[in-house]
Amino acid sequence: MRAATPSPGALLTAVSPANSRPAKHVWRSREGLLVLPALVFYLAIYLYPLSRIAAWSFFDNGPTLTYYRDLLGETMYYRALANTLEISLLSTALCLLLGYPLAYLMATTAHRARRVLMILILIPFWTSVLVRTFAWIVILGNNGLLNRTLIALGVTDTPMKLLFNMTGVQIGMVHVLLPFMVFPLLAVMSRIDPNTLRVARSLGASPRRAFIEVFLPLSRPGIAAGCVLVFLLAVGFYVTPALLGGPGQVTLATMIDMQINTFLNWGLAASLGVVLLVVIGIIFAVFSRAFGVRELTGSGGA
Amino acid sequence: MKRRDLLKTTVTAGLLAAPILHIRPARADKGELVVVSWGGDYDQALRDLVVPEFSKATGYSVKFDAPPETAKVKAMVQSGNISWDVILTDIPAVLTLSKDNLLEPLDYSAIDRAKLDKIPKELQRSHALGQRLYSFNIVYNTTQLPPAKHPRNWTEVWDAKAFPGGRTFNFQGGIEPQLEMALLADGVPVDKLYPLDVERAWRMYDKLRPIVSKWYTSHAQAIQLIGAGEAAVGCTIGPRGITAKRGGAPIGVDYNQGKLASDNWCLIKGVRDKKVAMAFINQAVDAHAQAGIAQRVPYGPSNGGAFEFLSAAEAADLNTSPQNIKEQFWQNVEWWSQPGPDGKTPRETQATRFAKWMLNG
Amino acid sequence: MTSTPPGRALLWLFGGALIFFLVAPIVVVMITSLNASPYMDFPPRQISLRWYANFFTSTEWVGPTLLSLRIALIVMIVSTVLGTLAAIGIVRGDFRGRQALEMFFVSPMVVPIVVLALGLFFLFSSAHLLDKPVALMLGHTLVATPLVIVLVRAGLRATDASLELAARSLGATYWRTLRHVTLPSIRESVAAAAIFSFLVSFDEVVIAIFVGGPDATTLPKRMWETIRFEIDPTLTAVSSVLTLVAVVVLVAAELLRKPTN
Repeated sequence: MRAATPSPGALLTAVSPANSRPAKHVWRSREGLLVLPALVFYLAIYLYPLSRIAAWSFFDNGPTLTYYRDLLGETMYYRALANTLEISLLSTALCLLLGYPLAYLMATTAHRARRVLMILILIPFWTSVLVRTFAWIVILGNNGLLNRTLIALGVTDTPMKLLFNMTGVQIGMVHVLLPFMVFPLLAVMSRIDPNTLRVARSLGASPRRAFIEVFLPLSRPGIAAGCVLVFLLAVGFYVTPALLGGPGQVTLATMIDMQINTFLNWGLAASLGVVLLVVIGIIFAVFSRAFGVRELTGSGGA
Repeated sequence: MKRRDLLKTTVTAGLLAAPILHIRPARADKGELVVVSWGGDYDQALRDLVVPEFSKATGYSVKFDAPPETAKVKAMVQSGNISWDVILTDIPAVLTLSKDNLLEPLDYSAIDRAKLDKIPKELQRSHALGQRLYSFNIVYNTTQLPPAKHPRNWTEVWDAKAFPGGRTFNFQGGIEPQLEMALLADGVPVDKLYPLDVERAWRMYDKLRPIVSKWYTSHAQAIQLIGAGEAAVGCTIGPRGITAKRGGAPIGVDYNQGKLASDNWCLIKGVRDKKVAMAFINQAVDAHAQAGIAQRVPYGPSNGGAFEFLSAAEAADLNTSPQNIKEQFWQNVEWWSQPGPDGKTPRETQATRFAKWMLNG
Repeated sequence: MTSTPPGRALLWLFGGALIFFLVAPIVVVMITSLNASPYMDFPPRQISLRWYANFFTSTEWVGPTLLSLRIALIVMIVSTVLGTLAAIGIVRGDFRGRQALEMFFVSPMVVPIVVLALGLFFLFSSAHLLDKPVALMLGHTLVATPLVIVLVRAGLRATDASLELAARSLGATYWRTLRHVTLPSIRESVAAAAIFSFLVSFDEVVIAIFVGGPDATTLPKRMWETIRFEIDPTLTAVSSVLTLVAVVVLVAAELLRKPTN
């Protein structure tokens, strides 16, 4: 799959006749070394907390699995996990459905307009989630702006229930997460050579076919990155579901917080965290199998 | 090219390394006390009305931190890195902390006798001394439920036919389920509340579930919902309702059948300087100081002597004014903190049960 | 490709609606910030700038805001560098266990933040770094780097490694290839990664609560402190100021940009 070509100038400056390296293998293993700075950082900062978490989860005056026994026998944790996954998958799907056309629009428009749209999309970031939630109650409540407008316009005569249910949670979450879908998509889309599509069209493909069979596949890495990002962020959300949701949106994060602060039962909290990690890992393994490992690990393009 | 990359790497390494080179030994600052509370206007009141006298008497300055997360207290005690001294927090947190042995017993000899005489005995515990009283009250929207026709007791709050509109009650956020209110709603007389008939209370909660529009996780949200009319009535902090009312919100508070609970001073286990910490607490429970604080933030002062410094108008709104306190009852902390045969306190058992009840529907 | 005018117009309509959705609540917040009453009714009955005055005259708010900006800036630089290099290493490299390493690198995003924050407390406690900005920088970098890696990886996936191979076989040095072929090809992804790592650090609250303290209080921590009992209207003023400053800076940068691209 051909991607965007660098300008001839770039290619020329990269070449220097003096140094000649033969093997692709040597080059690639050199590139592997680039992970070292991050690895050193992770080992220094991440390993210790991880070992604490493992200690809390698997030890209680000696190695134990009681925490796992407790949590696996308790329906409410399954419910909380199911709620979390439901919320996250829905958010991801919504962000993709809404974000893809927006990213496409931005990628195929003039650079100035694109940057203006980028600025607009980044505006909500400066308002903390807590403050935004307050605004949602003002907008979406039974006596809120939206309902008052709809009733005044005669669209409906009873207020729509937009808060303290899945609808409210999704509105709140998509509002926060949409930029995390749009930007990866845009980054990949803007690299797609417009000539590729023109060639497809000149070969006789309809606009729709050109889009589905040429553009869409080329944007796949962006889709993968956007979905991974949004999903993982959504899974960790605590505030939005707690403030905008109902009993059906009580998340695992709430349960973990309850164990950490109300019960000071860090063993159980850590175990819930481990379970979540395993579940997410399984989900990713399933997706990799279904869509091809390369989509998610992005192992090389050649 | 190579040089520039090298430069970039060095700069990055430098940025990373430089701050780390400033490691200082663990803080045991002489002359500084750290008080942990809930922030906001209450902290400001403490800063203005308690700290000056305290600093003059002891020569110590005071730093404030917030919020008093119980997990952080445990983490400090476990790691041996104690940087908090005095904590102001509610009874549920006190119960959680003392069960895990994370609090230092108070030294009551450091508190003036005159003050202790005016503080209700219920508020003087081995590990916690009441500072201010908040209360769970009937808080309602005055537009939807006008003062002439608002719920006056919990039975009426449970009655959505006579008093239409959504309800808002707490879930999580470190607050236990309102089992007392449920029993009162079912007609149990106040003096026969404890020991709580838990099964009866949960049956009443089953009746409450369909009429709750939102189970709030923070009192701030409860007040917003009631003020905006998203909920017609709720069980939340009366004094916060009063504050909103003063700010122009269409909120009313009825103190009848309200549950009194205290925010308390405690000391973290292994506190660095117990004498100085107790001196701060002694200053904070001073009647004059408490009166000044109550004028700013309408929570009931623990020291009854404070009422001598308050006008009748100021006192009227406070939940512990003579007339308001009569209508309310004290939460029985002993009942909630007594471990059962399985070693768990009712606080833990009921909180777990609440979560199950909520999630399993 | 919707090159047809009606198709294009529809797309713009859709985009406009989405932008409206994103911006509308922020406008509500800004209007609320002008409410004279501490009880934030909407629409406000009386206008006042008191919350802005409160913000600017109070070290309680300005201090944490500046600290958050400082920390976010450092986190942005460090995590973008670490993450970009790591992503290149994983995607273009050739060694065993690449997939496992990648999952390891991304995992901080999956560990529940409050559990991670507790773990970090103990780490920084033993390093005597609690209640110090550097600990927050390190902690935030840990949660921002996974984001960078996911974003840059996408950019790398979308470009062709054979270009780099071509450059190499034509005789370019390792660093030259990196600098003139690889990095420019992922420019947009790195830029997006930088923006997000900055904002993630700026908004981060849980690690800030556990690892921070009176000497290292970030803006989100300050906001969280009182949230149990009240929403201080100053929060709305803070958000409005930050939003306006960001928009002004970005628009100015845009206007000053040369017309050619």
